[in-house]
Amino acid sequence: MIANASVSFRKVWKKFRYGEVHDSLRDLIPALGKRLIGRGAAARDLRSGDFWALRDVSFEVVPGEALGIIGPNGAGKSTILKLLTRIVRPTRGSCAVRGRIGALIELSAGFHPDLTGRENVFLQGSIMGMQRREIAGKFDEIVDFAGISDFIDTPVKRYSSGMHARLGFSIAAHLDPDVLIIDEVLSVGDAAFQRKAFGRIEEMRGRQVPLVVVSHQLERIAQLCTHAILLNRGRVVHSGSPRDTIAAYVDSPASSADPIAGDSAVRIESMRVVGSPAIASGTGVSVTLEGTVRPHSTGTREAISLSVSLVETGEVVYSTNTALCGVQLPYEGAFALDLVLQMNVPPSFYSIRSLVWDQLTSREVFPGPSAQVSVVPGTAFSGTVQMNPTLTVRAMPDDSRASAS
Amino acid sequence: MHFSDDASESLASESLRPDLAVGDEDDEDRPSYWAELRESIVELWRFREMLYQLTLRDIRIRYKQAVIGFGWAIVMPALVVLSGCLLRLAMSQATGSRLDLSSVATLAVKALPWSFFIGTLGAATASLTGNLQLVTKVYFPRATLPLGATLGQLFDAGIGAGVLLIVLPFLGVRPSMALLWIPVLAATLVLLTVAASLFLSCANLFFRDVKYIVQLYLIFGIFFTPVFFEPFAMGARVGRIIMLNPLSVILEGLRLAIVERHDLLVPLVSAAGVQIWSPGYLAYAGIWAVGGFAVSAAIFHRAEFVFAEYV
Repeated sequence: MIANASVSFRKVWKKFRYGEVHDSLRDLIPALGKRLIGRGAAARDLRSGDFWALRDVSFEVVPGEALGIIGPNGAGKSTILKLLTRIVRPTRGSCAVRGRIGALIELSAGFHPDLTGRENVFLQGSIMGMQRREIAGKFDEIVDFAGISDFIDTPVKRYSSGMHARLGFSIAAHLDPDVLIIDEVLSVGDAAFQRKAFGRIEEMRGRQVPLVVVSHQLERIAQLCTHAILLNRGRVVHSGSPRDTIAAYVDSPASSADPIAGDSAVRIESMRVVGSPAIASGTGVSVTLEGTVRPHSTGTREAISLSVSLVETGEVVYSTNTALCGVQLPYEGAFALDLVLQMNVPPSFYSIRSLVWDQLTSREVFPGPSAQVSVVPGTAFSGTVQMNPTLTVRAMPDDSRASAS
Repeated sequence: MHFSDDASESLASESLRPDLAVGDEDDEDRPSYWAELRESIVELWRFREMLYQLTLRDIRIRYKQAVIGFGWAIVMPALVVLSGCLLRLAMSQATGSRLDLSSVATLAVKALPWSFFIGTLGAATASLTGNLQLVTKVYFPRATLPLGATLGQLFDAGIGAGVLLIVLPFLGVRPSMALLWIPVLAATLVLLTVAASLFLSCANLFFRDVKYIVQLYLIFGIFFTPVFFEPFAMGARVGRIIMLNPLSVILEGLRLAIVERHDLLVPLVSAAGVQIWSPGYLAYAGIWAVGGFAVSAAIFHRAEFVFAEYV
């Protein structure tokens, strides 16, 4: 164990129950009695209806570090947050956070609709553990940051949802925590406020405040974190640099379908990225597919379709197929298909998916493998699309300017 | 930036102590009762501002958008007094005696603590389930919710007490040394109420039946508690049964100290020869209050870390 760890999770197991907690009053009174005197069944056993939300999870965060936690829904991310914020306690193992915890989670949970913004700032601030002096000292800053100075004496029930969320974030952001815990927080307010909020978080990071971030926004994790862990079904399945961990996540079996047998003539056996899977925005990525065509079949009417989608949202940003590109697959036997895609897309994580498509019946006949690439900021362009600009500079003779006027 | 607050500073270094940091249920050596009690008091002290703000919230929202405002604080005890007067009037018609000022004073003296007690039970029982959003999402010592509800009602009781102070002299109450018992009885009542609040709010989180049981008590409790009548009015045996309720002891003690100007350390025998008071009753109520508080605080603290899982 590192001596100066701000957050330490050591072999943490957490058990939850499915469904209704108690079936009848008859089961429950003895059970409650036992629990209250602390002599319940041993915690290491799983009874029916129990499941492990976390299994043997360990990690540490020291000042200056930022840990990202990623994983599919139900992997145990929220359970870790609840343990970190001390809402629940571990079944086994230990979990400790040193100092004041600032949690950018449920930012306005303590707001009362009938109270004014001012009254709610003091209420919510106190729920987060601040003393009155401290809140009073930061009050103007909080209100300015939220941008609601004109409405501070209005009951929050008359606030728009954006104002509500901004005020909540602003209070939490002025807590000066020893450890900052963030859950999908940058979905607060409009784009301008999100930038401001992100700036605030980066500023805290700059002050060496240790950070724990849970997010589905993989790009944010890559930007903010110094390392990351990938959870699946309550276990840490990967731990390392954010890029590696994200690559492990998008590569995990849950997100890429294994090739399965279909009735297609064309089969795609493999797909791999040639060279580094980290591509500078605006440059090309080389992908090689290998497959076979069954002899004496309908192979001529089948085409290989390729689509590129954003891992975060699943949005398809580009798709094409061999027929559109004017490429004919061989009539039979093994083949390799080399493909170069120019990644004129903003930095993020992309999934390239292949499938075999029957042009006659317009249906997918074979779900092929996929590959993941990470696009990193490049020098070719910035923005969301590459517009391949054509720029020409012409010298203007002095006399032509004179005649024009 | 650095904390100027010493309480949070000291806890920052303390939070890695094993009894705070380890949630190991496998180990049978749980922290002792005293360690847990100390831990919960330290946490409550850290969150004292939240307790204050919650009390303020409860008071503010009760009087926001209300025309009578703080007048509502005395409506409930005033109604209790009024219905008591009606009842006494009916009884005096039947027995041929007349309703005197001192029985109105008695009613007023008992109506206030009774209103405080049932008002708090109602508010505290719902305090955890009414703030589920907070309980499941944010960390804070859960006891702040029922305690905040209790303090909000105490504020109302304070207004009521101010009104009583003005009204009682007109009802024939004269100051005496026995009035010094009021703080003792009030403290016992508050401790007893806090014990009930902690226990009921916690129980209601696990079993919603509790809310209905409490509602029944709020409606019918007044018939079993000596608010409108004196505990020994129906004879020595019934009186002793009624006095098993520590709340009866407190109400009777207040009546004797304020209206009868009786020193509670001295036993009292009624004109009919029934012993209606002995100092033992006071000790009995005190044991209920302290013991009830110790037990319910322990139950509450032990249960509070599973609140979020069981709601």
